Amino acid sequence: LSLEEATKIPDPTSRITAIKSAQKFFSEDKERQFEAKMMDESIRLLTSQQQLEKEADGKIDFFGLSVNDTVTTCLLNGMSRKADKIKADFKVPDKRFWYLKLYSLTKARDFEGLDNF
Amino acid sequence: EVDIEDEGKVDLSLLRELGKNGLINALNSVNGVKTLVLDPTVAGPLGLLTEVSLLKQHGVDKMFWLEAGPLTATTTNIVYLTRGKISWIKIIADQIKRHVKDGTKHLYTILLVPRTSSLVSRVLEEEGVLGEVTISAFNMQFIPLEDDLLSLEHENAFKEIWVDGDETAVFESAQALITFQKLFGLFPRIIGKGDSAGRLTGLLQRQIKELDGGSKSDKLLTRSDKIDSLIILDRRVDMITPMLTQLTYEGLVEETLGIKNSYVELPASLLTTAKPPQGTSQVDANASPSLATPSASTLQKEPKKKHQLTATNDILFRELRDLNFSGVGLRLNKTARRLEEDFKGNLKAKTVAQLRDFVGKLGGLQSQQQSLRIHIGLTEMITPSTRTEVFNKSLEIQQNLLSNYETSTQIAAIEDLIAQGASMQLVLRLLCLASIVTGGIKTKTLEPLKREILQSYGYEYLPVILALSSPPLGLLLPNPLPPSAASLASTKIPYSNLRKALRLVNEDPDDFDDPADISYVYSGYAPMSVRLVQCVAQKGAVLKVGEGGDAARKGKGVAGGKARAHPIVGWKGFEDVLESIPGETFDVAQVGPTGTEASIAQTVASSLLSSEKSSTTVVFFLGGCTYTEIAALRWVGRQNKGRRILIATTGIVSGASIMNSLAGAVSSGAASKDTTPQL
Repeated sequence: LSLEEATKIPDPTSRITAIKSAQKFFSEDKERQFEAKMMDESIRLLTSQQQLEKEADGKIDFFGLSVNDTVTTCLLNGMSRKADKIKADFKVPDKRFWYLKLYSLTKARDFEGLDNF
Repeated sequence: EVDIEDEGKVDLSLLRELGKNGLINALNSVNGVKTLVLDPTVAGPLGLLTEVSLLKQHGVDKMFWLEAGPLTATTTNIVYLTRGKISWIKIIADQIKRHVKDGTKHLYTILLVPRTSSLVSRVLEEEGVLGEVTISAFNMQFIPLEDDLLSLEHENAFKEIWVDGDETAVFESAQALITFQKLFGLFPRIIGKGDSAGRLTGLLQRQIKELDGGSKSDKLLTRSDKIDSLIILDRRVDMITPMLTQLTYEGLVEETLGIKNSYVELPASLLTTAKPPQGTSQVDANASPSLATPSASTLQKEPKKKHQLTATNDILFRELRDLNFSGVGLRLNKTARRLEEDFKGNLKAKTVAQLRDFVGKLGGLQSQQQSLRIHIGLTEMITPSTRTEVFNKSLEIQQNLLSNYETSTQIAAIEDLIAQGASMQLVLRLLCLASIVTGGIKTKTLEPLKREILQSYGYEYLPVILALSSPPLGLLLPNPLPPSAASLASTKIPYSNLRKALRLVNEDPDDFDDPADISYVYSGYAPMSVRLVQCVAQKGAVLKVGEGGDAARKGKGVAGGKARAHPIVGWKGFEDVLESIPGETFDVAQVGPTGTEASIAQTVASSLLSSEKSSTTVVFFLGGCTYTEIAALRWVGRQNKGRRILIATTGIVSGASIMNSLAGAVSSGAASKDTTPQL
């Protein structure tokens, strides 16, 4: 599976290419629509992570994180609007998002944020 | 009368000697001082066979892990000890090529575990280094972990057989079982369940026939008089059990801390003798499992064999390992009190004889105290994790799923766990369990769940989910099945029927201190795999419990102790149940090649005779078994007078280790290039 290889590639661009090929592979099979969709999401995530890294001047590592971790990292670094955007983009259910937010705010000792919650 | 327990016992130390000698011979075949390079997956099991000092005696100068990158060795001879995985061989080839380039001259030997293969030589040929190396084999087979437990320590067997379709592990199992028979005689009867188990049996018989030449030892010509049968179960037959959280002491240690090749990593502070036991007030962040502790050292935790009196016996662990965890605290308390009494009693010693007695006992008491301290420490480490919300929630979900109670609520609860960030393996285990017991999760519910998982833990887990949901595993299935996956329908098990037929769920879990049924190990659920063994070796237990737990207890009381083991008559009485479980069912009698009608008659006679002496039933798990199943089997073994159960497996697994191996999380070990492997 090109997907398994993809996870081992550290270089961003070639990793996205590898996942794209996996996505193509899945989309050829009607039974694998779900997997194809997931790969699509994965590519979108990686690209938006690259975007985020650029905005953070490369100070924060995003690339390769899961959706959850991306949200948490955003929150921890005071990028809560970005976190909201990711939530919207990837249709993260409210329940999971609130858990993440709660956890991040506690970790960041942002008690004001917790109060506003 | 007293000796009856030991009589007819199968002496497993023979197997250890065999392994050890094999290694020494292999090492001695290379003359002079040598550098040993170890594949990390071999090092663990090797440590169970031998010590570093022994290796040094046989010319090993330095040891390295087999890792990508250059290798600097000072000796001319370099010996690689590795499994025949292509990735490992490539690394070796790469190292050799580097040496050639640098102009350093070395003599290379590759010892393949457990045997050579043409694949390896082909890879070496492609790499252009075949001419440089000598290839031979180190035949590592069963390693006795305990006096009733053999393991091939082949950790990835499960994944290889059912995901990669790699039958190497089946072949290795057959080899090991043949060696076993060479030592102890033919298994008079082989009973089993599961397609892969069936293939293993076929392989066993064929190989024995092929050995028919003069090379055959006498033992292989005759049936064993100590062993009554071999029961082979493949892991695929019972996937429910490993998905559950283990609740016995040893099982929980495995779940929370991880046991590798009988070693568990503990903080060094727990192992030093000097410090007094820490106060209980410390059950906070410090006491929580601190695997990350840099000073963590290894401790050999398994109790030594009873007859090795020179070795430190950990009697306490023997007592504790198979208990349900809820009973461990009590038992530790009791032991502590007893030790205190013993010490006090000794202080009262007045006469010289009494004093001498005391001094004699002192060492034993101290070692007991030491082991008590370790186990209290372990318990303290485990307890916090059993008190977390996630842990209890997951137990609740498991129990409800097992009794088919409000399945959809349970699935919603699993979703909550994902949201709360429970570990990936736990969530997947619960989902698989839900899928297995209900015969598939509704597509509408399953897809968002998979999505949740991928988003929470990363898209790189997609292959894991794919592996779980495609043949031959089919553990995570949508309901109804898509037409293309129709073949998977046959892999489903009729769980609710089985639950009744085999009494898998015991509604009122009994006293954990003196359990009347194996269901105590999972606080109410009897491992299906062990129930199947009982169908062969302890039929009464399955039936009796069917009439209700009370009858079983009463029956025990009336009989005034253990029931006599009945002779092995195969699956008799449970054919219907077996038929309903997917996978091949088989029951073959093994007769020596000289076997005739007469010898069969002889067998019947000897099985009658066997009511006089005790025999051993070997249970082999293809694809691994859990500590909890071992605990349950030991319990079964104790119920029968005259039948001992010997457990053999390709490796010890847990739900977590299965999931992790599927995730391809190849733990390269914390060891770095320059560290000497600790054996």
